Amino acid sequence: MSERILRTAITVLLLTSAVPTLAFAAGDAAAGQSVFKSTCTMCHSNQAGQNKIGPSLFGVVGRKTGSEPDYTYSPANKAANLTWDEATLDKYLESPRTVVPGTKMTYGGQKDAEKRANLIAYLATLK
Amino acid sequence: MHPRSPKRLALLGFAAAALIIPISVAHAQPATPAPAAVTHPIPQSLRNEHAEDLEQLELLSKRPGKVGEIAREAVVLFKRHAATEAEFIMPPLTLLPVLADGKVTPDMAWAVAMSDRVRAEREQIFQQHAEVTEVLNKLVEAAETAKDQDAKEFAEAAAGDAMNDVEILEPAVLVIGDYIRMKLAAGH
Repeated sequence: MSERILRTAITVLLLTSAVPTLAFAAGDAAAGQSVFKSTCTMCHSNQAGQNKIGPSLFGVVGRKTGSEPDYTYSPANKAANLTWDEATLDKYLESPRTVVPGTKMTYGGQKDAEKRANLIAYLATLK
Repeated sequence: MHPRSPKRLALLGFAAAALIIPISVAHAQPATPAPAAVTHPIPQSLRNEHAEDLEQLELLSKRPGKVGEIAREAVVLFKRHAATEAEFIMPPLTLLPVLADGKVTPDMAWAVAMSDRVRAEREQIFQQHAEVTEVLNKLVEAAETAKDQDAKEFAEAAAGDAMNDVEILEPAVLVIGDYIRMKLAAGH
């Protein structure tokens, strides 16, 4: 019985600790589109196959680093061997050079977690 | 510069700043005391780009509303970055044509010191690029709101120029420094 209680407590703790991760899904894609427009469009397109200074972000969620066709990535990005899932994107967008040292993306990062979540929610619609 | 490179505007400003900023030879050759201030220029093409970029940006800074306000912020950041580039990032690039001819001489040692400084301060230099990118993003947004196509094109071109620095010019300076060091050590 006490073991069952312990398991329940552990489960609750695990679920609670997962809340920040689940927050990605709670992002507002419409608000994220606004963030995209103000901070990403100068260098990134949301259209498939349209690479600008940065690679197209169409389909970026779930994509492997350095994998957009016809874009010349930095060696750092190509070697990063990451998948752009929500959690990785969140860390990267907060501090790009921390997650991929040597990335050539000259973006200091979005420190506002809500804006990041919204942006990621918008990026997830690009497919 | 306008439609082709906003960064060039920045570069223009930078170039102008470059002409003014003295470079210490002592920095290039720490072991050998040298004249107090020796100027090492940057390539003329980059100088022209800097001047054009800054001129364009200063024109934008006179526009009313948000575009002018953000352009004024950008002028400050562009000038600062141009000064950095003129001080120790771009001068070694003037040696490229001679190096391409296979000539390396001891009086090129100053470029090794500058290259070493670029390597040591790479993150700070990158941070300057990030700050410029941030203000250019703001300029694009303001330009779109104001339907100011010139300002938008300038900002996008400037972002392209910044990428040129990160992808090509700064790595080239590092290679130049390593190459000269290697050749001088080998007795060339």
